[in-house]
Amino acid sequence: MEHAPTNDGFPVSGSRDDEYTEYVAARLSSLRRLAAVLCDDWQRADDLVQATLTKLYVHWSRMRAASHPDAYARTVLVREFIHERRSPWAKWVSLTEEMTDPPAAMVDHDAVLDLRAAVAALPARQRATLVLRFYCDLNVDQSSEILGCSPGTVKSQTAKALDAVRRALTLGQNPGARPHPPRSAQR
Amino acid sequence: MTESQIRDLFTGIAGAEPETSLVDAELARRRGRARLRRRWAAAAGTPLLAAATAVAVVVTVGLAPAPPRPGIAATGNRPAAPRHFDPLVPYLSFGWLPAGQSLVMGGVRRTVVFIEAGRKPYSAHGWDLNIYAAGQCHFTPAAKTLQCGAAPPEGPGRNIVGPAPAVRGHRAWWAGPSRNWWASAGLVWQYARNGWAWLFLPNMYRYSPQQIAAVKRDAVKIAGHVRYGAPTRPLVFPAQLTRLPHNWRVSSVVYLRDGRLLRARSYALAASSPSLGADGGLDYQSGLPYFTIDPVTRRFSCAGYLHWPDSVSRTINGYRVVVTHDMAGSTPKQQLCAAHADGLDLFVSELGSHPVMSVDDVFRHHLRLLGGNPANWVRNPIG
Repeated sequence: MEHAPTNDGFPVSGSRDDEYTEYVAARLSSLRRLAAVLCDDWQRADDLVQATLTKLYVHWSRMRAASHPDAYARTVLVREFIHERRSPWAKWVSLTEEMTDPPAAMVDHDAVLDLRAAVAALPARQRATLVLRFYCDLNVDQSSEILGCSPGTVKSQTAKALDAVRRALTLGQNPGARPHPPRSAQR
Repeated sequence: MTESQIRDLFTGIAGAEPETSLVDAELARRRGRARLRRRWAAAAGTPLLAAATAVAVVVTVGLAPAPPRPGIAATGNRPAAPRHFDPLVPYLSFGWLPAGQSLVMGGVRRTVVFIEAGRKPYSAHGWDLNIYAAGQCHFTPAAKTLQCGAAPPEGPGRNIVGPAPAVRGHRAWWAGPSRNWWASAGLVWQYARNGWAWLFLPNMYRYSPQQIAAVKRDAVKIAGHVRYGAPTRPLVFPAQLTRLPHNWRVSSVVYLRDGRLLRARSYALAASSPSLGADGGLDYQSGLPYFTIDPVTRRFSCAGYLHWPDSVSRTINGYRVVVTHDMAGSTPKQQLCAAHADGLDLFVSELGSHPVMSVDDVFRHHLRLLGGNPANWVRNPIG
């Protein structure tokens, strides 16, 4: 590969910047949407995409060599999401008081909000699994490749996530169904 | 049923894409390029260059991001604040100060670094900058308060009283009490992801509106020139501790600027025992010593301590010392005072009922005084 010297003496492929700029211009919107589905927050989604783009630039040679560049970019984004949620910085300070991301218009707002809350309460990995399966429409093998785990884990994570969502929705619809400890246990 | 609902939910979220994107592809490219440059330097086998480049990356990329865009959270994707500070590294320096002001002192704990500028230490008319490690401050938008530190009495928990000009692209606010703001006014901003900076302004009692405006302008300028993580003069210690338990380390340091030196004046040790909290820039632990050491002065004397009950005068290693036992609140405290000891005046103190070793033992067996000549002082307080 030809490396062009730059004014700071740092050798960078001359075409890297051009390819990168072109790719970002073409795919930014889809990366943002995927990030938004993962984060459920457009501002955080933009942060996630920002971090992903930096990584893509650093690993552009891998991106270039990938048979499916979009799949590679998606992998970087999803893993960055999981990594970030695990890190202590996940509890960052939110500086905006107002809701910036009103839910999209749907018929039953309460149901949508309940579902949204239930999905938001999932651990990052389970949420990512649902997004890959039900938003990206990837099969188990493709999802496992992106998540870096076995297909069996994808299946179990999906099942656990769906189960958790169903349970949350059931409890939300019927608060009386919440398990109460026996009176004797409350004393 | 749930699966289709989830599909609809995801589609709905993705469909609500705002027109304005806060993603800055050019910034991502610059950051990526900086990372590559650092890797390249490291791979070239020049660790010094790599370290210098890493610092440059922090300073140029992390702390001078693109100008703020409307609506962007100040928590954007910038380098994260350090999780802990190394107490032996000053970390912070002023890049600009008003005329007549200079760095007078500073301190480092694991959770906060501070530096103070003025004409003399502890002045009410100085500038005091605190930089908190990641997660040490909590901003409550609804209440418009920023709380830094462990508990309200320790850390400043102050009102956000209004927006301030951005600090190198980072959103900033004026903070302090709503009434008599001039008495302990502050400028706060996020210097890195999840890390807050707090610049306390001089006391502006009886300042005219024009003077207050000038102080605020200076505050923004000072804040904009702060250097984070850039090399500073090293801390030097006029004494060295030896043969300590292996898990003892320095937990916190307060230093003074002595000419061209940053002299560690007081410092505390820590191990795994519970902390007693922080005060005056030091973190204290029960049963572990802390030190205050100054070059000898004529006025300093330990004679006053001889009048305290439970005080004794002894000669240890040829130095005359006074050991006192009293209470710091409800906590037993023992203290050893030594004046004119090899060119130094010093205190060795301990809090707690069951110290691991007495202050006598620390002074007798573990403290090596290095004299009043800075040429003999060391950077590592534990030898």
